[in-house]
Amino acid sequence: MAKGYLALVLHAHLPYVRHPEHGYSLEEKWLYEAITETYIPLIWMLESLLDDNVPFRLTLSLSPTLIAMLQDDFLQNRYLAHLDKMIDLGAREVHRTRGTPFHDTARMYNDRLHGARDTFARRYGKNLVRAFKGFLDSGRVEVITTAATHGYLPLLMIHREAVRAQVATGIQTYRRAFGRDPAGLWLPECSYTPGLDEILKEFGLRYFFLDSHGLLFASHRPRFGIFAPVYCPSGVAAFGRDLESSKQVWSAQEGYPGDHNYREYYRDIGFDLDYDYIKPYIHPDGIRVNTGFKYYRITGKGQHKEPYVPEWARATAEAHAGNFMFNREHQVHYLSRIMDRPPIIVAPYDAELFGHWWFEGPHWLETLMRRIAYDQHTLEPITPSEYLRRFPCNQLATPCASSWGDKGYHEVWLNQANDWIYRHLHWAAERMIELAREHPRAEGLRRRALNQAARELLLAQASDWAFIMATNTMVAYAARRTKNHLLNFKGLWHQLRENRLEPGWLAELEDRNNPFPDLEYTVYAQR
Amino acid sequence: MTALIWAIIAFVVALAVGVFLWRRLSTGKPVKTETPPEQKEFTFELAREMFAPEHDLPPGTPAMDLPHRYGQDRLVLMARDPYWLYAYWEISAARQEDFKEQYGPEAWHASRPVLRLYDVTGVPEFNGGNALSYVDIPVNEESDSWHIEVGEPDRAFCVDLGRVLPSGEFVTLLRSNVAHTPRATLSDRLDEEWMWIEGVYRTLTRLQTGVSSPLFIAEMRERLGVAPLGISSTALLERGNDR
Repeated sequence: MAKGYLALVLHAHLPYVRHPEHGYSLEEKWLYEAITETYIPLIWMLESLLDDNVPFRLTLSLSPTLIAMLQDDFLQNRYLAHLDKMIDLGAREVHRTRGTPFHDTARMYNDRLHGARDTFARRYGKNLVRAFKGFLDSGRVEVITTAATHGYLPLLMIHREAVRAQVATGIQTYRRAFGRDPAGLWLPECSYTPGLDEILKEFGLRYFFLDSHGLLFASHRPRFGIFAPVYCPSGVAAFGRDLESSKQVWSAQEGYPGDHNYREYYRDIGFDLDYDYIKPYIHPDGIRVNTGFKYYRITGKGQHKEPYVPEWARATAEAHAGNFMFNREHQVHYLSRIMDRPPIIVAPYDAELFGHWWFEGPHWLETLMRRIAYDQHTLEPITPSEYLRRFPCNQLATPCASSWGDKGYHEVWLNQANDWIYRHLHWAAERMIELAREHPRAEGLRRRALNQAARELLLAQASDWAFIMATNTMVAYAARRTKNHLLNFKGLWHQLRENRLEPGWLAELEDRNNPFPDLEYTVYAQR
Repeated sequence: MTALIWAIIAFVVALAVGVFLWRRLSTGKPVKTETPPEQKEFTFELAREMFAPEHDLPPGTPAMDLPHRYGQDRLVLMARDPYWLYAYWEISAARQEDFKEQYGPEAWHASRPVLRLYDVTGVPEFNGGNALSYVDIPVNEESDSWHIEVGEPDRAFCVDLGRVLPSGEFVTLLRSNVAHTPRATLSDRLDEEWMWIEGVYRTLTRLQTGVSSPLFIAEMRERLGVAPLGISSTALLERGNDR
């Protein structure tokens, strides 16, 4: 029997970025890059582990907006067009780098892009959700989800109905994709406030994750700190993030991704190569963007960079996987001496860190899973559901309001750069609740308008917009998205109240802002 | 007549703030093209900063903007962290009118706006007079939101937006919801209570039958009881108080 447990958790999320109104969209490119560099490599990694029957466990949160985008025809076709363009560039790169130290890397990219095409188009029929469904069915991967548009729930709690709608629509999207209910919920940004768990309880969700201090600063001091979950008064379990394992992966200074052998993210041929050569592969207006072709290793702190050597990077990732495992074993040995039950170490990460930023991340993860399975006896990989089955008796406490953002509370999503959004978001939520109660059984056009109003409100509530405003990059886009969805909401509200719905405009909105086809506005009426 | 004047003033103020806000928001940084962004320290959110090249819209794009006022009385209080609160508000013209009717046409001008911050920790039903303490925070006439430094984790607060008359009397215009600042340290409460929810899982396995609906906590307490392990367990009553 293992002395302790390791729960690895990946959270995959992107905001809803679908812009059929533009021929080219930088924001859609976030999705394309994440598919090529993160989601498909994760799929390869999980397939390989399953093929070899490695007894691993992973918890994977897929956000409803991401699920909706992966299932969307328009985006699927656009991604394929993008991928084909990159495959074209890959072939040119293999040719261009012949006889240079970059050639092996160019061939690696070329192979990966062809592999991505095969996985995406041929094997999964352009719908990667199918791959994740398979992983869920395998029983080794616990796929969960989050709030519909990743709304920052504690700051929406002014109206419980708005939070309930976020959760309900998220679960509905999950159910549609996977044919069952999720076991737990990833709280957007791990943001919690007391009372939120009661809403999760309503939907039969059994657990969520918190940052370390969210658990440590609970109303009653948790006996096992973050190494065991607590039950909220509602009976929903809260698992706390382990700081030590987080830092090893997250921190560029102390963490693995900063190793000199790893691929340098910031040197991309989209910026480095001759304009005429790269022009067909960057923004049509000639703005240089990343292409994903990166040929250097981190090398050191300065500007000087050496060519990337794929084998060295792989060997380094393997060494880091061993180091991570070694550290967790030590942690468990220490903890099990002072605890009267096996500790659980919860290590949650943003999925997009793996592959996109930390190119070698998926290989690290795969190696880690294999080594935990075969090279040691201290740790056992586990999912939160399994843990709760084995340890149904847990301490009762109310966790502390918190998030995993900078400084640990809500400041990233509520500061002088983004505080202006809340008066509008709250106003719209209040109107939506009124509308839903005024129209308990709407039909036809009115029903469609009410559903679309709810959709626009959800899209405006995405935590991503406030986050982008706070980081001071692409602020205009985030502000525009917030405003546009709120203005769409407001327009629909006026039309509904004044009984003058414009079918043409409604159809246009339904077509453009189209996630959550099963959404029911009546969720806002529930008290 | 005065109502009209006030409505005009309110409109001008709203417009000014709106323009200010719009300018603040629309001052995008120039489009960077050639230089990739500086490498930053990895942070928790870094993976979502995957949007490498910055490409803001050219300034002056959409003309559409959100209304600055919705013609509604409201004062909303939110806890940002253990030390700060944020409040936003809107006072309707009707509410201003009421005030003037009660205190005279010049009273609005002669008075100044104040946020009165009440510590209502542990107060079951705040009625304006039963707060543990309060402080007054003068705010600007034209402001409609405020970041308030309270410096006190794990407390409950409520604010009134009001006006202080020349006589020193405070007149409440709007009252907020109650907001709780989060804890910033380990709890001193070391008493433990444990909960057993095996029943929840019993409903999930096909092998077992008979237990169907999800169990709610009250029910669970009755049926399965709380299983105290080790040091001590407090009465459920006590927990009832701090919720």
